[in-house]
Amino acid sequence: MGPLIPNGIITGNWDFVIALLLGIAFGFILEASGFSSSRNIAGVFYGYNFVVLRVFFTAVIVAMVGFLYFDYFGWLDLDKIFILPTYLGPMIVGSVIMGFGFVLGGFCPGTSYTAIAIGKMDALLFTVGLFVGIFIFSEAFPLFEDFYYSGYLGNVTLSDVTGIPAAWFAFAFTVIALASFWITMLIEKRVRKNIKEYKF
Amino acid sequence: MNRNYFFLTVLMLVLAAGTFFLNREPEYEQIKPEKLLYDIIQPTRYVTTDQVARFIIDKDPTLELVDVRSAASYDHFSLNNAINIPFDSLLSPNYQDYFGIPGTKVVFYSNDDILADQAWVITRRMGINETYVMKGGLNCWIETIIQPKEPPEDAPYTAFELYQFRKGAQMYFTGAKVDNSVVKKKKVAVRRKKKQKVAAGGC
Amino acid sequence: MEKNTVTNNRPHYINPYLGGVLLGLLVILTVYITGRGLGASGAVKSAVVTTVDVVAPKSAESNPYISKFISDDHSPMYTWLVFESMGIFFGGLLSGILFGRVKKPWVEKSPKITSKTRLIAALIGGILFGIGSQFGRGCSSGAALAGSATFSLGGVIVMLALFGTGYAIAWFFKKLWI
Repeated sequence: MGPLIPNGIITGNWDFVIALLLGIAFGFILEASGFSSSRNIAGVFYGYNFVVLRVFFTAVIVAMVGFLYFDYFGWLDLDKIFILPTYLGPMIVGSVIMGFGFVLGGFCPGTSYTAIAIGKMDALLFTVGLFVGIFIFSEAFPLFEDFYYSGYLGNVTLSDVTGIPAAWFAFAFTVIALASFWITMLIEKRVRKNIKEYKF
Repeated sequence: MNRNYFFLTVLMLVLAAGTFFLNREPEYEQIKPEKLLYDIIQPTRYVTTDQVARFIIDKDPTLELVDVRSAASYDHFSLNNAINIPFDSLLSPNYQDYFGIPGTKVVFYSNDDILADQAWVITRRMGINETYVMKGGLNCWIETIIQPKEPPEDAPYTAFELYQFRKGAQMYFTGAKVDNSVVKKKKVAVRRKKKQKVAAGGC
Repeated sequence: MEKNTVTNNRPHYINPYLGGVLLGLLVILTVYITGRGLGASGAVKSAVVTTVDVVAPKSAESNPYISKFISDDHSPMYTWLVFESMGIFFGGLLSGILFGRVKKPWVEKSPKITSKTRLIAALIGGILFGIGSQFGRGCSSGAALAGSATFSLGGVIVMLALFGTGYAIAWFFKKLWI
């Protein structure tokens, strides 16, 4: 059965309508969970609000476990889906840069769009920053072109690299995520007691 | 509230643990043993070296010659347009595209016909139709096509006809006694089953 | 779903675990339909490519990075991620209206800093995120969320490195937030 578009069950003409609808659902979930507030998001780094960790980790484990069931029941062929390629060095460097951007800006691209929608000027500036950042990147691209393509490992999954079945990773992530939910619940309570200025 | 979360935690753990029991190994659908046994005793699964030679000379587009010997032997000598699928990698996913192309007959050969026969049984059990074995293998090929023996004088007429064909085939394959002695190694044109395109994308 | 009753002055958000389950199901649905995950930073990349292509077509073609994304038959804006990102905006707006969070333009910040500081930090953060997302082949949604969920090694690397860096440096930028 799935994926529907690569298997030709839905033709390409519907592509953009589907994109819009999926985007609306995505934006709705992000905003409704409180991701339109940079202070909510940044709270994950200071222990006063773990909403990012909760939503993000829940989504990852639900999707991971769900994929395995979908694959088992034959609804989705996991061999045909897009696996993000791995470029070891560039990805680590890029993520570190993004980490700085995350703490400074308090948004990530998706959440900043929803925050603009409800009138946050800082989100608008963040998106302008994204534009400028990508522009700088592409103008300076020749300087680090070799690095950009280095460390290529292909479109590999964790199972491809380690030989351990995907179910182990799904289970490990689930255990880690669930444990972190309980631990952060306690941390959050403690931290909130000591912060007076911020209304939760 | 904490109790609800406790239940949800357990539910999620059970669901995640459940994935261990999902068998993701590819299952080859096997044909029924009776059918396999029936097919094995059918002589139609063999093609003779003469038939293969004729297919090659006629440039039959539906012919897919598969050399199941090692890659080294294949490099040393192989039939025209044959592809090499070493016997031990017959089940490798890399080669599955070569099988099951509609309207194509797969002909296995090896030095004799034992290895090719085994390959035939394996692919047959995987449910691949239109597979054949070249009777006698390359040894027979050399005997009949490359070095054909003239039949004794009292042989029937058909034997001479066959001999004539084999002489012709010999010229075709070895270039013997042919003016156009430059035998160009033809580029192996191989048809593969169309690969499913993996969607590209990402951020 | 109410955690406790002392939350009246707090904006009403849905339970984060419910949000997470919905988001996880959405990731599955997206992959089920399109064969790939969600994304966000790709749309800005398309915008950059389009802008450069319109303003200075020559330099767009000569730039080895931008030229990768230019095609002759359609505008670089006409891509999946651009439509999806428009959807994100409208989805956010929809939720904002439903939960009564849409306001006149304002700046959310820690009381310890000025609006100007917050805006500058947001701009710099955006620039860094933009640069980083290109190296990382995606941002927190495309790489970290959808990538990890599909068991991609790269996705997990991005997730760990992104949040790891965040925790490592958070202390230095404490003033921006609390």
